[in-house]
Amino acid sequence: MDELILKLKQQIIEVLNLEEMTPDDIDDDAPLFGDGLSLDSIDALELIVILDKYYGIKLASPAEGKVVFASVNAMAEYIREHRTR
Amino acid sequence: MIGIVATNITSPLGWTSEQNYLAVKAGHTALRNFHSWRGIKDTVTVGAFTPEQEASLLLDGFTKFESLAIRSVKEALSHSDIDVASDRTVFILSTTKGNVGELSDAGGNYSAPGVAAKKIASAVGFTTEPVTVCNACISGVTAQMLAGRLIAAGFYDTAVVCGADCLTEFTLSGFLSFKSLDPSECRPFDIDRLGLNLGEAAATVIYAADAGKDAWRFVSGEMNNDAYHLSAPSPVGDGTVRAINHTLEGFDKECLAFVSAHGTATMFNDQMESKAIASCGLSEVPVSAVKGYFGHTLGAAGVLETIISILSAEDGTVLPVRGFSEIGVSGKMNVVTSPVPTEKTAFLKIISGFGGCNGALLFTKDAGEFGGMTPEVATKVVHTVHITPSSVSVDGEELPVAMRGRELLDEIYKSHIADYPKFHKMDMLGKLVFVASELLTAREDAARENVGGEDGDRKDENRAVILFNATSSIVQDLQHIRTINDTEGFFPSPSVFLYTLPNISIGEVAIRNSYKGETSLYILPEKDNELMDKIIKASFAGSLSRSMITGWADCSGEDTFEAEMKIIEI
Repeated sequence: MDELILKLKQQIIEVLNLEEMTPDDIDDDAPLFGDGLSLDSIDALELIVILDKYYGIKLASPAEGKVVFASVNAMAEYIREHRTR
Repeated sequence: MIGIVATNITSPLGWTSEQNYLAVKAGHTALRNFHSWRGIKDTVTVGAFTPEQEASLLLDGFTKFESLAIRSVKEALSHSDIDVASDRTVFILSTTKGNVGELSDAGGNYSAPGVAAKKIASAVGFTTEPVTVCNACISGVTAQMLAGRLIAAGFYDTAVVCGADCLTEFTLSGFLSFKSLDPSECRPFDIDRLGLNLGEAAATVIYAADAGKDAWRFVSGEMNNDAYHLSAPSPVGDGTVRAINHTLEGFDKECLAFVSAHGTATMFNDQMESKAIASCGLSEVPVSAVKGYFGHTLGAAGVLETIISILSAEDGTVLPVRGFSEIGVSGKMNVVTSPVPTEKTAFLKIISGFGGCNGALLFTKDAGEFGGMTPEVATKVVHTVHITPSSVSVDGEELPVAMRGRELLDEIYKSHIADYPKFHKMDMLGKLVFVASELLTAREDAARENVGGEDGDRKDENRAVILFNATSSIVQDLQHIRTINDTEGFFPSPSVFLYTLPNISIGEVAIRNSYKGETSLYILPEKDNELMDKIIKASFAGSLSRSMITGWADCSGEDTFEAEMKIIEI
């Protein structure tokens, strides 16, 4: 597994308390919201904190997150382009 | 007749109800823009006391929060002749976070809300045990409902209700993490609204059993949970619609001067309220909302907004919604844009909060009285549960357990529940309340299956969940403070902040079971079965609920907690 993808999955599992999941359980391309991991709006806000805290990326509103949080792959791609740390 | 005999508002706009009303009528606002506020480095607009006001507020030996509440209560009392020292008088404090501005890992001047209520009560001269309502943003309405019920049930003759909250880095950082703050002045119901502004204030209403025929009073009210989401309201306003419909049952809507809406100016709240107002047939009734004058004063809001509404109805004027210019919600509603004269003497107060709770109160100074009940209402205990850090018992039978403390709660989840992964996201109090309620409902389900037939689907959708504790959400409060004190790692977490509202644990139970009755959390100085019993019995008054999950649920540490809960029916 790609290093950033693995790291990101570990961070998502830890921050969102997805206790019963491992990085292998999360499909790189599956949607994070809706059917996929069935995350909700509070989880979306936590993902914004992950981007800020670990990658120095500030998203102004959860609305921007729609594209960024489409999947783990989409999130990793966005981080590669925009990270400041 | 039960009614209001005196009021006070202490806010950045003035020290009395009249000063505040006149400031609002003149279009003044407490809201000011700051490029940073104390430790918060973001641009914010808040309704805060000026440093000079704050200095003049502070009382020797009391925190800012306590001083604010004491001043407000004493000023209200100066307009009445009630006997505060009587054992027939109760003090009810409404607050979301009380003294949290004083809380630190090092201790400081912090005392839990129930203990703070006792300090305030003693300073004023009350002699009975105070009750603190901690029900997120609807606390001020819950507290007034409780006042009416306790008097109607005959337990007290007078109830002094004070709502108060201070602006702190604690709440400001939490709402920032929720992305729910407008950096400039809030715009309720407007197309360009971006969120709320926080404010600070104390507001007091005194209810008396013999307030006289001409006093303002609420004649009906209801609280309902959406059972939908912990922080987002039901998109169709499920709980608000239920609360309004029950509250207005049999009342001619033509008689309403206005609806005093919550109108926080967040995307979701205002949209939800518009849908609820429209589906309750209130589209033509003028809607007023005062967050543009004070900001959101949290635990004070429900009380403060009631008082401003009463003075506005007395003055024959419906106040405009400051900050509103173009409608930005889809439910048809009549937002007031300039002062409208009225001769009507009734209004509806609505309010909603985190944890999925919603409330409605119908105020009038004309006919009618809040529906009382006999205090001897018979409640039947159906099932009981008792959890300590080292033991679990249901209906008096000990369950075998291997773990203790935090691990015990995880063990109960794994061995008895296991199908609700959201459990792992909960804080300690949330986990405690959740496993306790699951053990209760499992017994109930088993009994129902045994009976079968018609009784098989006798589930009470209007079931209420009313819990009590002493330490609010102290474990989670300290966790949130650690994040915001770390200037290098200042990344407040929305989910950590959410659980600093202790009523969130009850919201979880409502969602899990689709319970749409009242959900409330009360904080007492210490466990007091007699007082809890009074409140529980009084809470069935005027409500659709016929059953309740209730009891004690307190968590002050990983290895110090207790849940002693039960299902009761009437």
